[in-house]
Amino acid sequence: MIPDEYLQTFVIESKELLEQMEEALLKVEQAPDDPEIINAIFRAAHTIKGSAGMFGLDHIVTFTHAAESVLDKVRSGDIAINSVLVASLIEAHDYLKVLVEHVAKGMSPSSEIDEYGKRLISQLETYLDKTKESESNPLTVVTPNANVEPVQTDVVGTDYWHLSLRFGVDVFRNGMDPFSFVRCLASHGTIVQLVTIIDAIPAAEDMDPESCYLGFEISLQSNEDKRTIENVFNFVRDDCSIRILPPHSKISEYQDLIHELPEQEMRLGEILVSCGTLTPEELESVLHFQSQCDEALQQPIGEVLVEQKMVSPPVIEAALKKQEQVKENKKAEANLIRVDAEKLDELINLVGELIIAGAGTNLIARRANMPDLIESTATLSRLVEEVRDSALALRMVQIGGTFNRFQRVVRDVSKELGKDIELIISGAETELDKTVVEKIGDPLTHLVRNSMDHGIESAEVRLSRGKPVKGSLKLNAYHDAGSIVIEVSDDGGGLNKEKILNKAIERNLVAEGANLTDKEIYNLIFEAGFSTAETVSNLSGRGVGMDVVRRNIQALRGTVDIESQEGLGSTIRIRLPLTLAIIDGFMVGVGNTVFVIPLDMVVECIELKAWTNDERDGQCLNLRGEVLPYRRLRDYLNTQGEQGQRENVVVVRYGDHKAGLVVDKLMGEFQTVIKPLGKLFQGEKGIGGFTILGNGDVALIVDVPSLMNQIEHEKAVEEMTVSRASRSYAEVI
Amino acid sequence: MSANVQTAPLLAIATVQNVVDQQYLTFTLSGEPYAISILCIKEIIQFGQLTEVPRMPTFIRGVINLRGAVVPVIDLSARFGKFATVVGQRNCIIIVEVMTGEEKHSIGVMVDAVNAVLEIPAKEIENTPTFGTNIRTEFIEGMGKIDGKFVIILNVQHVLSMDDMAALVAERSGNTIDVMNS
Repeated sequence: MIPDEYLQTFVIESKELLEQMEEALLKVEQAPDDPEIINAIFRAAHTIKGSAGMFGLDHIVTFTHAAESVLDKVRSGDIAINSVLVASLIEAHDYLKVLVEHVAKGMSPSSEIDEYGKRLISQLETYLDKTKESESNPLTVVTPNANVEPVQTDVVGTDYWHLSLRFGVDVFRNGMDPFSFVRCLASHGTIVQLVTIIDAIPAAEDMDPESCYLGFEISLQSNEDKRTIENVFNFVRDDCSIRILPPHSKISEYQDLIHELPEQEMRLGEILVSCGTLTPEELESVLHFQSQCDEALQQPIGEVLVEQKMVSPPVIEAALKKQEQVKENKKAEANLIRVDAEKLDELINLVGELIIAGAGTNLIARRANMPDLIESTATLSRLVEEVRDSALALRMVQIGGTFNRFQRVVRDVSKELGKDIELIISGAETELDKTVVEKIGDPLTHLVRNSMDHGIESAEVRLSRGKPVKGSLKLNAYHDAGSIVIEVSDDGGGLNKEKILNKAIERNLVAEGANLTDKEIYNLIFEAGFSTAETVSNLSGRGVGMDVVRRNIQALRGTVDIESQEGLGSTIRIRLPLTLAIIDGFMVGVGNTVFVIPLDMVVECIELKAWTNDERDGQCLNLRGEVLPYRRLRDYLNTQGEQGQRENVVVVRYGDHKAGLVVDKLMGEFQTVIKPLGKLFQGEKGIGGFTILGNGDVALIVDVPSLMNQIEHEKAVEEMTVSRASRSYAEVI
Repeated sequence: MSANVQTAPLLAIATVQNVVDQQYLTFTLSGEPYAISILCIKEIIQFGQLTEVPRMPTFIRGVINLRGAVVPVIDLSARFGKFATVVGQRNCIIIVEVMTGEEKHSIGVMVDAVNAVLEIPAKEIENTPTFGTNIRTEFIEGMGKIDGKFVIILNVQHVLSMDDMAALVAERSGNTIDVMNS
């Protein structure tokens, strides 16, 4: 049977192709005249059919064939693209996806699915029937001469059978001799031409002498019927690829043959020879003719052949296309390499070690005070930095692919809801880590569906509010302060604060009479169990499973926020870290311990004394008119050791928060490799990881957002205990 | 791979069931001798540069850089509920490998001094007494007899249980405020 790994490759490739196909199908509705898009759809279908055939997945082949025939007609302009056709093609795409998924699971589709497939096929075939009438019947034209006439005919002129044989690798092992078939064939007629195809033979060191790599192209003169000739190959039919074309076959059949031949970059003439359309002698004379021509006048061999009336233009076209295709495929292959993600991680780990080692060398060079060495280590660290950047870039993918998937979601959901909604994508080229891209899909789908379902109003409501009938949904992405921001915004009704608040009070999420800011109210919709089924079409019902969304995003170390204006729409903003294993850090000293603050979050450093003159040690300072709360890391972390000469405030920013962290020493920038905390320290909030300094010491990386949270939390608890204590004190009195 | 990983602790348990005679590393901890099976020991290094991690229970001494890997160091004495080890001349860190589920972790164990690697015949190992020792009985794998004296053989998997210790860390960082206020 087929080894699993190959089947897996088939599944992965097919899924990719289906994705491309879907993307193109969604585009084609807007641009029905763009041949590139239609070609893309056709190519995807064709490739899937081809590889499914290789694995003997007949049900996929049959179905894809039907779709492909329709697409072929579209390509040639016989059928015009319209929304009905696109809809049925999308349906066909979905069905193919189901089939491929069945293959992935190793199941064969149920009869129900089969039935559905048949229905789709007949639906597609109706398109074919419409065009059939316009076609002429080419089979009636008979040209008895052996060579091709320049007349516009659909039939190739040879009156010989044409056989394409590609023997399977195991033919010798199964005790067969390929040539014995050829001899047997000779007993049924005369072999006019035989070309041995040896392109499949690998380089000598890779060749297995027990394997068969041979193929033949045979031109046969015979009066037998097809069945008799086929029977010659009865014993090897299963593991060999055999194609038999009767005399006067249609050109399209030859074209098919050219398409299906193993893809080698053969010269056009050779292809035609091996197909038996031309004999080598004819080709030679053509080549001779070509070389006689003036250099400036050199014509492509194809044109020469047509001029000499040796082959008909359609055959040439097919052969030319084949050459082009082979070239294209080669190009695509060279541009992309599939790499195991684990190998990438390993590389990034190694680069991390390299950075640490480089920092160590740098330190020693400076200590030794050798200018030459310092210079060369500086060059080295610059190069290492570049290596780091490109290694990390390997893992980065554009978010556009994920965004484009939503074209389909929006299309389907808007049909389902009967709303006219347009999706506007911006920032598609924003890059982020592949693991994040994979995990952000589900929460985003949820948010998009939610916005469409509950956010954007129905057409009548929109009209009455004076908005355009067509609702719009925006997906946007951009980089901001070391994190990536993804926005889902709609121009719908926005959130109703009152309703949310009432609901929260009803569900005991908020105490009655509590004074909440707008933001706090909006964020309530992320609370578990906030929204229930009874409020599906209600504005406040927005938030079905929003707690799941928030949990997913938090698992990626991200945050989610809502901004909303009643009647005008709302924006959901997801903020994610770039999840890099290596970051630029800012080193600070607290007591004897060294801490690293991610540089992206550092806004500025100021001296504490210069900005506070009250000795009572307040909680905030006045930073150029801005209130900046600060906290001494020394107090928070309970560290011992000497206090620095002068305290400095590192102003950090994360999202909308700005705060000051008071440290003893500022030690400068440092490239940092994040080492995970490990299980033991996971309970500690303020620390995001470890890193190793150039001198071999371990430093702690500050996780600014969670440190801020922790500080806020502790303050809240403190206030509560204080108020509780004073109350109980009052009671005692 | 996973089979390899598991052999160490499995063998360590096997010795108790009198299968093979095994070698043990003996060391001193606040004056008392202890032993652990050498099968789970990766290496022994001198007590040197250590980075303290703030807001941790006393039994977590800090972290060290072991050739590019960050390894936590446990103060065994504090882990047994006694005083934290005072750093002296002969302090050592024993790097031990423990299993947590499917994962293998390296942990450093800080001790007063290491003594010797000895073979303790299986028949010289007695079962754990139900009381009479001053550390938790689940930490003890058996009592080995060396030169007529008893040595506590530690059950490394229990003493250095990641789940157990991580729970203690989480509990502590959650409770800090209450402790501070009261």
